[in-house]
Parts: sequence; C-alpha cells; structure tokens
Amino acid sequence: MKPQLTLQTPLELPNDEISNYLNQLWISEDSYNSGANTFSLIIWQPAWLEQHLVRAGLINGPITGYLSTEIVEVAKQFILDKGLPLTTSLSSNELFKLLEVNSADRDAEDFRGQFFESSISTLNPRRLITLAPTLNNNSGMKTFVSAYCPLSDSSAMQPICGDLVVFRGDSNSIVNQGLKIIDELSIDELPSWLWWNGNLDESSEIFEYFSNNGLRLIIDTALGSPNRCLKVLDQLIKSNKAINDLNWVRLKNWRESLAMIFDPPSRRPILDHITDIDLDIAGDHVLQGLFFVSWISDKLGWSFVSVNKDNELFKIEFKRRNGEKIHTSINPLPLGNPSIHLGQVIGLRLISKVSEEQRNNTCIILGCESVECMRLEAGGMADMQLIEQVVPNSFYSSESDVSKLLGSSRGNTSPLFENTIKIALQIFSAFNY
Amino acid sequence: MSSVLSNPLRLGLRQERVIPPQSLVIFGASGDLTHRKLIPALFELYLQRRIPSEFGIVGCARRPWTDNEFRAKMKIKLSKQISGNEKEWDTFSNYLFYESVDLQQSDHVVRLSKRLNEIDKIQATHGNRTFYLSVSPNFYASGCKALKDAGLLDDPKKSRVVIEKPFGRDYSTAKKLNKIVQSCADESQIYRIDHYLGKETVQNILVLRFANTIFEPIWNRNYISSVQITSSETVGVEDRAGYYESSGALRDMLQNHLTQMLAVTAMEPPGKFEPEAIRNEKAKVLQASKLADENEPWNCCIRGQYGDGGNSSNRLKGYRKEDGVHSNSTTETYVATKVFVDNWRWQGVPFYLRTGKRLPKRLGEIVLTFKDVPVHLFESTIINPAPNQLILRIQPNEGATFKFEVKSPGSGMKSRPVEMEFSYDESFGEPSDEGYVRLLADAMLSDPTLFTRSDEVEAAWKLYTPLIELMDNSPWKLPIHNYESMTWGPPESDQLLSKDNIFWRRP
Repeated sequence: MKPQLTLQTPLELPNDEISNYLNQLWISEDSYNSGANTFSLIIWQPAWLEQHLVRAGLINGPITGYLSTEIVEVAKQFILDKGLPLTTSLSSNELFKLLEVNSADRDAEDFRGQFFESSISTLNPRRLITLAPTLNNNSGMKTFVSAYCPLSDSSAMQPICGDLVVFRGDSNSIVNQGLKIIDELSIDELPSWLWWNGNLDESSEIFEYFSNNGLRLIIDTALGSPNRCLKVLDQLIKSNKAINDLNWVRLKNWRESLAMIFDPPSRRPILDHITDIDLDIAGDHVLQGLFFVSWISDKLGWSFVSVNKDNELFKIEFKRRNGEKIHTSINPLPLGNPSIHLGQVIGLRLISKVSEEQRNNTCIILGCESVECMRLEAGGMADMQLIEQVVPNSFYSSESDVSKLLGSSRGNTSPLFENTIKIALQIFSAFNY
Repeated sequence: MSSVLSNPLRLGLRQERVIPPQSLVIFGASGDLTHRKLIPALFELYLQRRIPSEFGIVGCARRPWTDNEFRAKMKIKLSKQISGNEKEWDTFSNYLFYESVDLQQSDHVVRLSKRLNEIDKIQATHGNRTFYLSVSPNFYASGCKALKDAGLLDDPKKSRVVIEKPFGRDYSTAKKLNKIVQSCADESQIYRIDHYLGKETVQNILVLRFANTIFEPIWNRNYISSVQITSSETVGVEDRAGYYESSGALRDMLQNHLTQMLAVTAMEPPGKFEPEAIRNEKAKVLQASKLADENEPWNCCIRGQYGDGGNSSNRLKGYRKEDGVHSNSTTETYVATKVFVDNWRWQGVPFYLRTGKRLPKRLGEIVLTFKDVPVHLFESTIINPAPNQLILRIQPNEGATFKFEVKSPGSGMKSRPVEMEFSYDESFGEPSDEGYVRLLADAMLSDPTLFTRSDEVEAAWKLYTPLIELMDNSPWKLPIHNYESMTWGPPESDQLLSKDNIFWRRP
C-alpha cells in the first residue's frame, strides 16, 4: 500500500496552544465525531539516512521517514562509490560520517509525521505523535498539528478520524520542550504505544523517558549495538515492561519453517537426538541468531551450559534433560548485498544422530531464498537423510510489521519472546560481552 | 488419529484469535446438543486458552436446575473429555450458570435478562452476549421474538443469535422464518449454523482453490466432466426417529450440508477474504443452481430407505422397524440427485449429490473428475485409462488424493493410474478442531464467514422445491426404493449416473 498524506496542511502552533487546540478540534469540527476510539502512537522518527542523503543532494526529498527502495538503492550505490565495505550497514555511523563529509547543504520539505503508510492509517490511530529530530543541532523545535480522516474503501462508512502532532527540531529541543508537552497529549482511556524507529544507542534520555512512562514499546534490536540492545531488553524485562521487537517479529518465517519440518509425527523423534545446530547470519549483529537458538532451546527444554567466541564464531553449548550435549554455533558471514536489517538469519543446519551409521541420521538445512547454502551442505551431510527447505524472505516494511503488532497484540510481551530473551541474556552475560 | 506428542516447536506459534469477554446463553441446555457438542467445544476452547477470564456460559431450559446442578450434570456427561483435565474442568465449571427459562413466558425472559445483568457484573462481561438457540425449530421464531421483546437484541454490536438447522422446512417456511428473525435482529446479528462449514477440510477447499495457482485455471467446465459430493453414515436413525420422521435425508443433510459443500466447491473467487464477499459468491452459486430436470424432477432424484441387513453376527433392522418409526414410513434415509450450476464456469457439468444412512462407510468427500485426454496415445494396463480425479476427503482420514496416469514399469509404454496423497494426519499429526469449536468461537468473535446468510438458505431451499413439492403432493412419482443396510443405496441411484456413462466412486 502506498503511503498517505494528510489532506490538510498541518498547522504550526506554539507549544502551549496544542493541547487546547486539539480539544477544541473535536468539539468544533463535528459534534458526532469525537475521534477514533483506538490507540495513540508515538513514533521516534529520526530518518538519519534519508536526511543525510537529502543534504548530500543524492535524493530530492521530501523527507518522509519511510525507508523507500530508492533510499536503499542510492545509499548502497554511495557505499560502492566511496569504496566502503559492501557489508556496511545503512545505519552505521561510518556511513553517516562520510555522508556528512559529502554534504551539499541541500534541503527538502520535511513531511515526517504527516506522511505515513496506509497499513498504519487503516488502523485509525486516534493520535499520532511524531518526534522528528533534525540533523541541524540548533534548529529549535517546531510543532505542527492536523486532523486526518483516512478514506475508507466502503463509501457507506463514516470516516473515523484522528489527529496528529509533529515535533520537529534538534534532539535537545525535543528533550527540553517536546517531552514536557507529550504528557498533556496522552489520552488516558486509550492504549499508548511507542515505536522507536531508530537506533537504540541514540537519544537514550528520550527512550528511557518513554519506557518509564508505561507505554507499550515497539523496538528493533537489529538497530543498535547488541550490547546496548540486550541491556535495554534486560531492563525492560526486569521492570515488567511490554516489549515488541521487530527483530523477533522478522524471525517468524524461520520459526514457522522449522516448526513445519516437524509437523509430520514421523519426524518428531529427530528432535530428541539433535547434536548440532549451526546458524549463519548476515553480518556480525548476533542478536537475531541468538534469539533463534534461545527459542529452540526453550522449546526443546535444553539448559544452557557454556558460550565462547572463536574468531567471529559464537559457540554455545546446551544440555538435554538426559545430560546429552548439543553444540550450536552462530556464524556471522559477510554478504555482498546485505539486508537492510542487520544480523538476519540466512541459514540453519540441524543434525540429529540416532546411530553411528550416517545414513540413519538426519540433516536438516533451512536456507533463505537469496543466499546459497553451500557452506551448510558441505561436510559429508549428503550421507545422511537430508531435509531441505527454503525460508521465504520477509519483504514486509517495518511499518507493515508495526501495523500487525498494533492490530493484533494486546501490548504485552509474547511469552515465547519473554522466555527467549531470558535465555539470550543468560548466554550473553556468561560471555560477558 | 494416532496419538502422538505435539510438535514442541509449534507450541505458541499459532496466533489464535481470543474471544472477547461475553456471556454465551444456551437455550435448550438440557438437550443432547448441549452436552454432546456445545459444552465440549467450549471446554476445548478453554483448554486452548481462548476463553477470556471475563466469560460466562448460561444454560437455559425449562428444568428447575441450579447452577451447581447444571455443573454437576455437565461433569457427568463430559466425563470422557474431562478425564486427565480435572483441574481445568474445576476452573472452567465456574463459568457455568443456569437459569430456568421457558422462552414462551415473557416473565421468564425478563428474569433471564436480570440474571444476565448480574452475571455481567460478576464476570465483567460488559453486556456482550451470544444467544444460542439449541431448541426445537418450532421455537426459533418465538424465541427470537422473546429475546427482542426483552430488549436483549437491541445492540447489534453486543448481541448475536446462533440458530441451529433446520432453518425452515421448505422455501416458503424458510422465507417466513427469515422475515420474522430479521424483524427481531439485524442480519449481521444472525448466525445460522451449518457445522459442516466448521470442518477444517471444508475450509481447506477455499485454500486449495484460491491459494494455489494450478487449480483455479482448470476448475471449470473446460476441464472437469463431473463432480460427486457424498456424505454417508453407517449409523441408522438411532434415537432421532421423532425428528427424522418429519425430516428425512433431503431436509436433514442434502439441503444444508451437501449444498454448502457444493457452494464452496463451485463458487467464484471472492474479491477479498471477507465474510460478505464469500457469502455473496456462495449465494450466487446457489441461485444459479437447478435440478438437472426441473420439469420432470423424478428423473434426477432417487430416494431410498434402508431395509434389513448386516451379517449373521450383526443383524441390522430396517428403518421401518426402528423405534419411533411408523411401520409404513415413507421418510427417505437416502437421497441422490443431479444438479447443474447454470453459469459460465459450470455450464453442462453435472453435480451428483448423495447422502444416506446405513451405508457401508462413514465418509464425506468431494470428487472432481476431469475430462478424458483428447487422444489415447498409450494403452492402459487396465481396460481404459482412468480419468484424472481430485478427491477431497472431508471425513474421516481428512486430506486429498490426486489420481493420475503414469508409465507402468516395463519395456512397453502402458499407462496405469497412481495416487498422490495428502493426509492431514500424516502431515500435521494434530487433530483438527470439531466443527462446533470453530463455529462457536467464530460466532462469539462476530465473524459470520462460516455461517449461512438468509439468501443462501432461501436459495438452497428453492433449489430443491420441485422435489419437495413432489414429495408432498405426488409422492408416488418419487418413490422410496428399499436398500439393504450396509450397501451403497438403492440400485436405482446407480442408474442416475449410468445414464450419463458415469459411476459413483466406491470409496
């Protein structure tokens, strides 16, 4: 679905008038329509890459906050042109610094907060508050307000309307001025979500402000250093905060594909004899791989024994209830055309040994659509019973994943994810990252 | 279904929809359906953790039971299902309440309304209610009126009525009943249940057809020569003679279950997977369906009644000797008919539908037989190459089989048929939910996709009107043929197909 713009140009208002204006809006506009009875969504929307590319004159804008194919392609071309490693992440500081050096001081209209995907707008959020930090450190803060009514396919339906507020300015101004107003804008009777659509390493003051504020959190642990991301998860779990992690959501195809292998009852015994699991991940962001291994161990009732790092390879050992050991490894691989999401799982090999005779044993290989699994297929596995499956790439945008969470989740942490985090934390703390 | 441990990696992966807080009010709570199907289905939903903590099940019948008596009776009746889940039952039974209600007495319904308000407070069910009419069809209209008069159906978003089959006895009574029911509640509040639509395998027809590219292009008159829909039972009338004598196989099975299977098999792809889009397409198919010979309907329908049968160790008595059945009964226990769907997709393709009691196998299946190849290049190891067939098994051994020709091993070039098999059991190893589990949950979730809309019900009755009129006015033109118990119906039903050079598939 294509992104949508508000029909009305947002009105710039002084901070102290916003709350009053929004209250008046619903009284004066339509006495029968007091706004959607749904939820509020606060979005941290830095869009640093997009802002840098605009400033460097590599794209024309307007700035939307939406990571379009054009932005990805232009950024990858820039990486290639400047001789950066092909594995460079699109959210890396190295890339941003180089773009800064290449700044042409270009500018473009900033539509962040008034330009959102229809997958979210069709959920009729009652209030969308966008925090749009700018690259310019001394820009101050401007506030914009608008009502919006997503148009429905069904003409018979009365439009369900909401409003939006955009805080645009440098991060300091957002901290000093924006956060003060946000409290006034909360609608107590509706659930409130925060989508942190940025790196977890940045603006920790703002993130902590919201995470302490009882909001339902949507984060992406593929953005930010694994260490910081795990610390955030640790704090949130300890304080019983609801967490939804897009990095976990994107693992769904892998969990589903692996579960599918064992749906036929005849294959269930394989699970009792697993000896090795090897995971390939794209790049060196280890969290998704760690989640995957932790989830498997939780489901199969394994307990964690040890972890060590051998070059780039993470080796983790588990123990079955009967004392048998299971060796797992997470192998970061450099890819020429990496996914925009760091550390995506790209391959899994699972070996189950029931006897000394290779042909009685089983090797299961899951590979993603876009990557060869030659490495996993090597090593005499062909003598075993081979079960291979291709896992479909997840082509959904973050906006689409977020809309699914908003539409289906009650905001609590999924019990599967909660257990997974606990094991992942156990492994990570043993490693003393 | 073989007993196997569940797939541990599957646990928690299914994203089941959680039923919103509400009270489910069952009228006819002392009847069979309540303890055979409804409470077991609700208990299953509870075990699947799909019942919210804010929930109540209010049994209503004329008997003067208390809450505890109702709980105790259900516990006895469900002892098999409870076994091994005693703790869970103890918690679940706290959801059970009982109110003695005669729907014909307005003061009873007013009293019920007050009780429901109290339960709303205790259980925090927010006035959200689903009313299940598991009563004699004679009380559907008056039951709905009583609920409306008590104001229990006033809020279309917070109240729903589930109505069991049969919905009417023929086209005119169904139309009349629809009118009355729709005067009491909005169509969006009415859930006419057909438990066949709750079966996983019937729903799978939609997925098979519309989630795969390969079937839809050949799912039409250009490639399919005939369709057979069978639902057979091994049991006789059992203890349902009272109902069955006034119903018969046509009203009990053909008009609803088999016709719904026809609709799902023959419908056009809906624009969206949304309740109204699907029901529109099903209604269109039923409206386009007609008996193969409407002017002389006796040419396209065979009725039968089971006679004595079985073997020396298990003698089975004929229908007329069953308890509660009239000794000269002309109620059909078997019916087979030929139908055409008069639209672009299906013009000229015969749909043969049959259902009966005391047949050799309990089975539900849909068989699509494809046209013969234009030229037989290869000799077959059997007399003629078998046409391709796609067999969708609704029950038991749910799954699908595709029959096609391959080269028979050897130096010659002879062909022989083989089967490609998909079995739910082998592929998933987990029993699918009973139809009532799915449908009860859907009704409580206000999802009408798998419920029949008024126009579907009316179209289905209209389709069989020439047969019903014949049965009522000139029954001798549609005689009852006797068939031996545990055989595949009267020989005349074979002739219905042999005229077209087709045979019933012997499953």
